[in-house]
Amino acid sequence: MKTKVVQNQSDPVAPEATITESVIHIVGLTKTFGNVNALQGIDLTVPPNSIVGFLGPNGSGKTTAIKLLLGLSRPTAGKATLFGMDSVQDSLAIRSRVGYLAQDPRFYTHLTARETLAFTARFFYRGPAEAIRARIDETLELVGLADKADRPTKGFSGGERQRLGIAQAQVNYPDLLILDEPAAALDPVGRRDVLDVMERLRAYTTIFYSTHILDDVERVSDYVAILDHGRMVASSPTAALLDGDSTTYELTVRGDEHAVLRALRTHSWVSNITTASQNGSTALTISVTDERAAESGLLRSVIATDDVVVAAFGRKHFNLEDVFLQLVKDPGE
Amino acid sequence: MTSITTTTIESPLVPVHTTGWRGGLANLVRKELGQWWGTRMWWIQTLIWVVLLNGVATVVMLEGAGRPPEELVTEAVQTFLQMGAIAIGIGVVLTIQGAVVGEKELGTAAWVMSKPVSRASFVLAKLIAYSVGFLATALLIPSIVFVVQAQFLLPVPLDYGRFALGVGTVALSVLFYVVLTTGLGCMFKGRGPVAGLGISLILVGQFFKGMLPLPLVLATPWLLGDVAASFALASTPDFNLMVPIIVTAAAAVALVGLAIWRFQREEF
Repeated sequence: MKTKVVQNQSDPVAPEATITESVIHIVGLTKTFGNVNALQGIDLTVPPNSIVGFLGPNGSGKTTAIKLLLGLSRPTAGKATLFGMDSVQDSLAIRSRVGYLAQDPRFYTHLTARETLAFTARFFYRGPAEAIRARIDETLELVGLADKADRPTKGFSGGERQRLGIAQAQVNYPDLLILDEPAAALDPVGRRDVLDVMERLRAYTTIFYSTHILDDVERVSDYVAILDHGRMVASSPTAALLDGDSTTYELTVRGDEHAVLRALRTHSWVSNITTASQNGSTALTISVTDERAAESGLLRSVIATDDVVVAAFGRKHFNLEDVFLQLVKDPGE
Repeated sequence: MTSITTTTIESPLVPVHTTGWRGGLANLVRKELGQWWGTRMWWIQTLIWVVLLNGVATVVMLEGAGRPPEELVTEAVQTFLQMGAIAIGIGVVLTIQGAVVGEKELGTAAWVMSKPVSRASFVLAKLIAYSVGFLATALLIPSIVFVVQAQFLLPVPLDYGRFALGVGTVALSVLFYVVLTTGLGCMFKGRGPVAGLGISLILVGQFFKGMLPLPLVLATPWLLGDVAASFALASTPDFNLMVPIIVTAAAAVALVGLAIWRFQREEF
């Protein structure tokens, strides 16, 4: 399938947000390991209280970018600011406002889940033991680990570690949650739960998460950033990305499809038409070069055609998989 | 998974504002000490060192029953302090070779460093906890046991003040090897170089210190066992007792700085 989407290598996710308003602001961020360019000058702006899906194939640089944001690694060039603070100079202050879930979360195996959360919480706040305990209980309940709270994490499965990872990432009420593949090790029920948690946390925090699961991104993300071979190949509000570039329309008709095709081909701004027949209807995908002319004249010319019933008409909506595959396809293909 | 609540104005939880090199230090020290004293580790270490150091001292005391009293005391104290300096050093290297490397390999170091924790705190917490742990279980408790043993098995009483000075000198040796092993862990990615270099330094000293020029040997921790015995027995060796102490202390401080400097450049 041939789709056309906005490819944007320099514009950030939310260009309207200023640096001071943004939670994350990345300019020209570059990371090189020897001869390998893991990140090649990426730009990105993440506005507050948004959920941003960070997509890309394996090895595209997602985890590298996340580690740079957290100060776990140093950029070769470029700059990242979080809450207006520099990711290198102000890393400690930044980390006091961030919750982070690693791709393969690991914890001290002699500690129980409850002790792990208490250890994490003490980095961020202090107070009466019962208040801290209540917060930990609430967090354990949130991720469905209440019944395993007092088991050492040594025996935890990958899914349980992932749940504990989500718990420890938000035990400090972070202003920003950075999640590296939060649903990767979870079963479908666990995945759904994680998405529910993310949607509920949206009111209190900003969520920046990497994932391979495109359905999840489509479901919960306000914005999408797509990385490929260390380059930002797209960054846009999810809806805008899926709406495509406004120059492709879908039309479903019953009746004389040849008459429709003849009518459409009279317009100079119609550049391409593909058809597919199904159950007595014909689905047409129409590409145009003049958006305004198409909006006013395309449907009208079809309706004016004899012996044709228009069953559906609208701008073509892409699904994220189409967009993703189009953007990150192997250059050799 | 269930509902979410958030902090409110009435929340009794107060944010921790730690900045600079001490960020997260107290919490990390607490965790590291918990790993010593909240698990089986403290009594296993205590058992090992009491059996080893006090066991050998007991044998020396019992076998020398017919010898002149001063000679027996000298041999018992020398055995305990000199063996302590070497054996605890080896024990330190073997026990904590993976303290930093293991965390880097497993990913727990990266996890901790994603919290408001300074790199210096991560290193210092390990140094503090392992120093306290080893000094208490491998040196202090066996030394107390040695004093009790001496009261029952030695024909003349120990000079407790001098013995404490000797134990203090061995403590410096223990601290040096804790710092060395932790520092090597910050510099290398695998356990092999950490354990190999640490153990080699100790063994080379024991086998070759008699063959090397004295000024060179004085610039190492190899003589600390002899210095400790000299303090405890009020004997006078043919070198200045303070030189190995000052050199070792200075080297330990330099190694702490080097370890922190290196760990601050670590990429996770």
